[in-house]
Amino acid sequence: MAGAFASAIYQGLIRRNAVYLTTIFASAFAFELTFDTASNKVWDSFNRGRQWKDIKHQYLNKADDEDDE
Amino acid sequence: MSLSAASSSILRACARQQLPSSRAAIASCQQRRGVADASKSTFDSPFGSSKEYSSTLKIPDFSKYQSKKPPRSNQVFSYFMAGSLGLASAVGAKATVQDFLVNMSASADVLAQAKVEIGLGAIPEGKNVIIKWRGKPVFIRHRTQDEIQEAQKTEWQSLRDPQADEDRVQKPEWLVMLGVCTHLGCVPIGESGDYGGWFCPCHGSHYDISGRIRKGPAPLNLEVPQYNFPSEDTLVIG
Repeated sequence: MAGAFASAIYQGLIRRNAVYLTTIFASAFAFELTFDTASNKVWDSFNRGRQWKDIKHQYLNKADDEDDE
Repeated sequence: MSLSAASSSILRACARQQLPSSRAAIASCQQRRGVADASKSTFDSPFGSSKEYSSTLKIPDFSKYQSKKPPRSNQVFSYFMAGSLGLASAVGAKATVQDFLVNMSASADVLAQAKVEIGLGAIPEGKNVIIKWRGKPVFIRHRTQDEIQEAQKTEWQSLRDPQADEDRVQKPEWLVMLGVCTHLGCVPIGESGDYGGWFCPCHGSHYDISGRIRKGPAPLNLEVPQYNFPSEDTLVIG
């Protein structure tokens, strides 16, 4: 089972160098995307309530509130 | 001298007494080697033995360290590790280069100052407006129909810096150009000069109603900056 899986990977991705390099760069692209997204999410959750996009609505609604009062 | 002679004779005697036993040991060793049987040897060499040379060579048993997995999966594992290193290097190199390039590009406050927006409704026909853009004066002229006719009818092929009026304006009624004389950088005076356009007082360059050089020392027409009209009566320069 493990041997079949390994030989499938070998035949599909590693045997031809062009395919191997393409796989590396494609997975680098995917990895960067997921890594950036994940680290941004961690950052946002760590700084929840302190960033401009979190407190923006308070200041944007202020003008409307003054009009109401 | 006498003492040394005595000591040497004692040593000789000792050697003579020890010799027979050591000779016997050497002889037994030689006999054993002649038999060529490693199992009888008291010395177990770490370099082992083989079938051919059983007395001197012994290959150690590495089967304890041998992989139980199929050879292909070991190969795939090492290629996977090499590929992962390549992946990490590619991401790191891209991030480094990107950081340098982003560092070099203009920041938001610089970009915000690089553009100027002007409302065109306040400029009546036939009037000049001078505004400051990136530290330089910019002439905006709302041209009349006569001026447009005059600028378009000029035989521009024979001018010093031949350029058609259509190439210098986006809308014929709005002429936008940098107010810097192409000769030595003075600011020309509007609505003056021999051609009804601009006149540079420093060295007497005359520009026509399309900002083209007609007379005097300046080599080129007044420069036209990048601009566009986002709506009907606003102009954005930059």
